[in-house]
Amino acid sequence: MHRFLRLSVLLLGSFISATLYAAEVSQPLVTADDLGPKVEQPIEFPHNRHAGLRDPADAADPSKPAKGGMEIDCRYCHTAARRSANAAIPPLQKCVGCHQTMNSVRETPRIQKLFEYWDAKKAIPWKKVHDLPDFVRFNHERHLKRFIDGQGKSVQEVCGYCHGDVKNMTVARRQKSLAMGWCVSCHEKDHPVDATSTKTTHGPNDCWQCHK
Amino acid sequence: MSVTNLLENWSQFRQAHPVGDAPHAEYKWALSIDLDTCTGCNACSVACYAENNLPVVGKEKYDAGQMMHWMRIERYWDEDDREFPDQGAQFLPMMCQHCEAAPCETVCPAGATNHTADGLNSQIYNRCVGSRYCSANCPFKVRYFNWYDYPTTENVWPAEMTQQLNPDVSVRSKGVMEKCTFCVQRLTAAKSTARSEGRLVRDGEVQTACQQACPTNAITFGNLVEPESKIAKQWAAQQVELAREGQAKDEEAGGSDLRGYRIFEELRAYPSVMYLERVRESAI
Amino acid sequence: MIENSFNRRDFLKVMGWGGAAVALSGCGNTSVQDGVEIVTSYVEPAEYALPGIGVYFNSTCAQCDAGCSITGRVREGRVLKLEGNANSAINVGKLCGLGQAGVQAHYNPDRVRQPLLRTGDQGEAITWDKALGLINEKLGAVKGDEVAFLTGTVSGHSKVLLGNYLDALGSKNHYAYDAVSPSVVRAANKKAYGVEMPRLRLDKAEVIVSFGADFLGAWVSPVHFSQQYGQFRKAGKDGKRGVLVQIESKMTLTGANADRWLAIRPGTEGVLALGIINALAAAGVSVPADISASVKAYDAANVSKETGVSVEQIGKLAALLKARSPSLVLVGSAAEGYVQGSQIAAAVALLNQVLGNVGKTIEAPAHVPFPQIAATVGNRASLQALNNSVAGGKVKVLFSFGVNPLFTAPPALNFAENLKKVPFKVVFAHYLDETALAADLVLPLDSNLEDWGTSVPEYLTDGSQLNIQQPLMEKLHPETRGLGDILLALLKQRNANEYKDFEDYYAYLRNAVIKNKSALGGALVDDDTFWGETLSSGLLKLPAGASSLSGHASAVSLSAVAVADSAYPLHLIPSITANMRDGRHANQPWLQESPDPLTTIVWDSWVEMHPKKAKELGLVEGDIVEVASRNGSLKAQLYIFPGIHPDAVSIPLGYGHEAMGRYAKGIGANAFKLLDVVVGQETGELALHETRVKISKTGKRVIVVKDEGAAGGMQMHKKIAVRVSTDNVKLSGEV
Repeated sequence: MHRFLRLSVLLLGSFISATLYAAEVSQPLVTADDLGPKVEQPIEFPHNRHAGLRDPADAADPSKPAKGGMEIDCRYCHTAARRSANAAIPPLQKCVGCHQTMNSVRETPRIQKLFEYWDAKKAIPWKKVHDLPDFVRFNHERHLKRFIDGQGKSVQEVCGYCHGDVKNMTVARRQKSLAMGWCVSCHEKDHPVDATSTKTTHGPNDCWQCHK
Repeated sequence: MSVTNLLENWSQFRQAHPVGDAPHAEYKWALSIDLDTCTGCNACSVACYAENNLPVVGKEKYDAGQMMHWMRIERYWDEDDREFPDQGAQFLPMMCQHCEAAPCETVCPAGATNHTADGLNSQIYNRCVGSRYCSANCPFKVRYFNWYDYPTTENVWPAEMTQQLNPDVSVRSKGVMEKCTFCVQRLTAAKSTARSEGRLVRDGEVQTACQQACPTNAITFGNLVEPESKIAKQWAAQQVELAREGQAKDEEAGGSDLRGYRIFEELRAYPSVMYLERVRESAI
Repeated sequence: MIENSFNRRDFLKVMGWGGAAVALSGCGNTSVQDGVEIVTSYVEPAEYALPGIGVYFNSTCAQCDAGCSITGRVREGRVLKLEGNANSAINVGKLCGLGQAGVQAHYNPDRVRQPLLRTGDQGEAITWDKALGLINEKLGAVKGDEVAFLTGTVSGHSKVLLGNYLDALGSKNHYAYDAVSPSVVRAANKKAYGVEMPRLRLDKAEVIVSFGADFLGAWVSPVHFSQQYGQFRKAGKDGKRGVLVQIESKMTLTGANADRWLAIRPGTEGVLALGIINALAAAGVSVPADISASVKAYDAANVSKETGVSVEQIGKLAALLKARSPSLVLVGSAAEGYVQGSQIAAAVALLNQVLGNVGKTIEAPAHVPFPQIAATVGNRASLQALNNSVAGGKVKVLFSFGVNPLFTAPPALNFAENLKKVPFKVVFAHYLDETALAADLVLPLDSNLEDWGTSVPEYLTDGSQLNIQQPLMEKLHPETRGLGDILLALLKQRNANEYKDFEDYYAYLRNAVIKNKSALGGALVDDDTFWGETLSSGLLKLPAGASSLSGHASAVSLSAVAVADSAYPLHLIPSITANMRDGRHANQPWLQESPDPLTTIVWDSWVEMHPKKAKELGLVEGDIVEVASRNGSLKAQLYIFPGIHPDAVSIPLGYGHEAMGRYAKGIGANAFKLLDVVVGQETGELALHETRVKISKTGKRVIVVKDEGAAGGMQMHKKIAVRVSTDNVKLSGEV
């Protein structure tokens, strides 16, 4: 009887301490500052030049290298975002479409590299910056439709909510945690259905909407 | 509290929809299978393998009962000791019945299986810890456990075969339970398209992989809530109601002359799959 | 500057690593991995190619000869899933399990990737230039009639090129071979109806009586017939549904679905057919006097004694056929199986005629306006003919593709030995199967999903059609080539001038189709649009033409069924299963893992035996038995199966490969190697059910690996799969 009791207490004690240890030692999914790692891309694509705000000096003297950006809408390049689950990296022909006429920057090292890929008809091996685990299903189209089309919010505000202030970055770097809790925190809020409606809904809270 | 009161509350509780939103408001997915036109060809089963990244386990594991066919075709003989099975065999496609009061949903220690607002029994792989209590509770035995890590097992998906995998469906690793999902990835995509166009999914717009493959059109799938859908009309014509264990038609004297029935209905799981009895001509 | 006219091939100029990486990442990535994976990105995609959204392309399935059209879902440049193409009258948007497994034929890890030249026992990888050069050299040293081609059923433009190549060589030696073809049925149809494959209207029939025709399983065009069967079973306004009666010695998939399955003594199907005519006459159906006289001896008592079918059953059958019209009587294995198979088929044709089915459920087939692309069908006798030729040393160069004769040839033909007399053998192959391993040169083929082509199915339905085969993605292995491209290259060696305008087979095909644009309904559109629409649809409806049935079924005299052999007492019925057929898909794991519908056995072959016979021989399920014929023997597990005549055993064909990759090699035993060479009296076709065998125990026993589990197909009186009699059910109000 005594032996049994001692054994049980021993086992229970080991179990509790093991659990506590594991809880202490387990790695959090997300880093302390919620920032993703710096990702080195094959070509250091400057978002600030393309999507960034204009600098009035650039218009005044077009012959000098531009200091500001061109305020290109995110959706001009990331065309799939409004109609697919993936936002998609733009195809090479999107870059070349403009750059083949832009002689002022034709000989710069990054543009030269771009055309090397184009001439070889080889896709640029861009690294994925915003990664989600494979069992998660995220749909860009639904979010753009709800917030840009439905509620009339600006593209910068909507894309920026999850991707941060990309127009001031060169290569993109993850700015928000993208962890489930972070997504759910928005889904639990009630948002207006569209710009004019007083009706509100929250995002789906059914596991299968996002997990596949 | 009286026993009757307890039973009534329990009955209500069993049928209470776990999801707070209005359940079955827009969609309630259901299936029906006509056993008279099903030929047992297994096309549906293979189509399911292709659509849902099912692993092929090989002979040894199959022998151990570790096969992974979400949709299986059961073959039954008549049990009356005739010299030959002279009225043929009976084929029964069996897959997750997406029970409205699913016995599996209540017992998962990790909350990995739940009921969605559109009437599906969901299986969330990343929550599953592999207790296998759900498959123990399932009366239809349609839940399949990943006893091995198939993505890293030799000859399951060698070399180029990984390119066949459907990116809309997770590839499950070891320790995770899986089952038929009514091709939820197709339903989600269809609902998204419909939502973008400001409407609901039309009848026939989305098909499950099994339904799409079936050469005899034995499988009907659709939205039970939409009264003009083929599935709703079928369930209505067969007088089978979703949340009832004893159908009114079965209480008629002499039984019903309608073919629609559900399997193990007396267990009160309220399956979403209706079967139509196979017919045998009496003149021959 | 973005191109205006999208080129179908430009779409496929997709990415580099994106596709593969994305797919590979599907294996269990449970953490966030920023900056690790490479994203799918394109160079110059077509407008409609968006990552995350599937693009659908139509093509043609090549898993069997039915010629169903397929629609492939392509994501990020790789084909994931095949569905039926709704545009085709043959499969009407449906697809069988075999068709689904087409992706596994394509992505199979054991595909041949380079041309291989035999050096001793090894295959040395060589370049295409060297391979084609070697062929040219070998051909230069022989006469035209010393060259032969062995193929399966061929049609479409590859048939045209093949014909042209044979002409250029000066050879008439094209052997079209199919180990499991319905060739006796074809010959009998030709006699009785004037055509080899009349159009069968299962959807119009009220009763179908099938003498071993497994039309839901593996006979002729199973997806099409299944689709019609679905309609056949739907009750009309009178609340009556179609009735199926299957008569055979071993239950097929179709038999398992019958309202009445009649086990018949092997080889006596013709007797029953004539017996039914006798019974119909007795029941008051109007039968021409000469026919009536010819079947006088086939009264119910005699027929019952000979066939084992009860007198009562014969009466019921006659009554049913008299009451419900039109009916349709089919013949399948009964014709292919026996020496008197042609006579059995003729008896069935006579029955159809007496019942008035000709013109009602047996119709003239669609006319194919371009005979040069119509199907040249394979048969079993071709192999015997080739074997004779090869044995006589007449063939110096043999080309083959689409067949595996070393696997399927009956041992008595000695085909493997005879083949050694051919000094140069070239095989165009997808996998290193038994025949490819015996070749001197193996040329690797593009898979069906990577290749261009056209085909015209033998069995046509509502009008004739030209099926289009187009690549659903870029080829997986850079050194494989399409069949058409190989034939074109060979043709250019003979006649560079005639084909100089065609850079490749694609160019040839496009030209061939567009040339006939006006006849094909494209008179009002420009070439590019017409071609685009054709590819988009996946098939072309060919212009209709006149076609009629002729011929007349006359009185039949049946020869006696072969007497029992005491040394080899049991009939062997080699079964043609829907999944394995002649073994060409044994290396597709989905099909090995898909349980046989009748026995539910997986990943192995088996011997089916009736419980009565098993008890007599003291055998139980799982006993490893040796099955020996006069010409071969094999060992396999026994399966007790009630759906077989006690005088017969059945072994599925297609297992027992000794090569062809990891999923096929060493699985099961090869029933082809038991077959005696006994041929049909009229056709010379191998009579598949005439082999006699004896069974002996080996003393070993295994547990049969099957899906049905220990319950063995019993419901234990639970209401799981329920059947109801037509007396107790109301079908008229159904949706």
